[in-house]
Amino acid sequence: MRERSNIGVGLCAAALLSCALLFASAATAQEWTTSLVDIHQGSPLSDRARGLGNGGYELQSGSWVSFTHWYHASWVDMHVDLLTQITPDTGILWGFGTGEQAEKYRIEPSLKLGFLTQIHPNPNSTLSLSVTSTIGGGLNEKPCEADYGDLGTYSVNCRLAAGMTAPEETLKYLVSAKPETMHLWLNYRLTF
Amino acid sequence: MNIISCPNSRPSRFPLNWGMRLGVAAAFAILWAPMASAQEVLSADETAALCHGGGSICVSARIPVARTTQTVQNWMSPDVGAAWAAGYKGKGVTITMVDDFSSSSRFYGNFGIGTQYQRHGEWTREEASMIAPAATIRSKDFSTGTAVSLARGLNVLNLSYGMYTTAGYSTSQIGWAPEESSIISYATKGSAIVSKAAGNDSVAVGGVTGGQQDYLDLALIGKPTAIFVGALSTNGTTANKAQLAWYSNYAGSDPAVQSHFLVVGVEGDKTGLYGTSFAAPIISGYAAIIGSKFTKATPVQITNDLLNTARTDTLVNYDPSVYGKGEASLSRALAPVAIH
Repeated sequence: MRERSNIGVGLCAAALLSCALLFASAATAQEWTTSLVDIHQGSPLSDRARGLGNGGYELQSGSWVSFTHWYHASWVDMHVDLLTQITPDTGILWGFGTGEQAEKYRIEPSLKLGFLTQIHPNPNSTLSLSVTSTIGGGLNEKPCEADYGDLGTYSVNCRLAAGMTAPEETLKYLVSAKPETMHLWLNYRLTF
Repeated sequence: MNIISCPNSRPSRFPLNWGMRLGVAAAFAILWAPMASAQEVLSADETAALCHGGGSICVSARIPVARTTQTVQNWMSPDVGAAWAAGYKGKGVTITMVDDFSSSSRFYGNFGIGTQYQRHGEWTREEASMIAPAATIRSKDFSTGTAVSLARGLNVLNLSYGMYTTAGYSTSQIGWAPEESSIISYATKGSAIVSKAAGNDSVAVGGVTGGQQDYLDLALIGKPTAIFVGALSTNGTTANKAQLAWYSNYAGSDPAVQSHFLVVGVEGDKTGLYGTSFAAPIISGYAAIIGSKFTKATPVQITNDLLNTARTDTLVNYDPSVYGKGEASLSRALAPVAIH
């Protein structure tokens, strides 16, 4: 399923890139300008990863294990969005995310690609369409090694190691999430 | 039926709830000879609760078990609530309650689901099923004397009774019934966890009281999967430490007992039920829950896990000769030693 999804995203990105190149070829000899559209840190996946750090449990000895240090990233995923204008009404939207990681999770770096185009149905109005696709940026939680003494050592979900779920079953609950892979934006602006 | 090598050493099965222990002399008078003939003279009503077709296990159809009650009750350790997560509450483990399911003796109590009037075995069975709601609970009436069979998977045997007779014999002199023989054999081989109520005579496990000894206690000492369970008057916490209930037997000076002795809270003020009879089912339930988490663990491993994770910081003046390994902690028994 995941592989199929990746292929879909790849094809989509390739199509977007083709469109962008088509516009680019039509705009040869024109000077392209690139503008910074947005720069921010954090994302819904960053928030979700941080939420995993809430809680903890006691080991057999009674010493407290807090999840915080496992899910605390020293650097928060930064996203930079840029617009390269090809014609007065078209441009390529592109950008990247740095990703982030802590001891027990990783958000992969991401690449964003798309285009923006607009038409003017009349002099007072503008209809804009943008489509962007994101490659990468997935959140993947890592397992822990839990030593249960005589009962053995298991690869477990760090957060569920002290609960009643069988160690091997806890791995089913490792978080694996993808960012929003496709974003479609349609805007109509009327000036009066 | 017991086949005894010495006529004077014939032990009687005796439920270990405190209320019944008060009537030692009377109870012995009832349990002696009539016990041996009970199988022959059962009323039709009683027979319905016993085993049929030569099988040693019977699940009474007349006595519903409170299997739907999956609420943490106020008499339970807070540990139980903390440990109950989604799904696994003893699933895949069989607890066999070897107890009284056929006598006419009943008494009142309330495990938080309303006052009931039940037999001793019905009470202990209900308690175990409330601690480990997903476990399979089987009832084995101890008056049959037939061997206890094991189910597929992990087995826990709950013994909330003792086998008393005149003090001074060695366990090898006792001609055990197939029932106790099988139980002792399982504890010896480590093929089932045996949770044994320590007794209510305020003596060390296996000690003499009124010229009698619990020979089942004595026979289980040193067996790898036997756990003696004493009663605390409350569930202990570090802020409110618990002490041994006044009636409970204690571990004593024998290191072999101390290393296999646990205590748990028996909050009779909330349930009306006192005695180490109601301590053993808690350990049976804990063992079932641990077994449902560690599905490949052996009875020996689970027994050791329970023993090695017992807490001593929740007890008043912890002393191994009183509390053995300490207060059983389900959450610690489920937790890793280390994680990275």
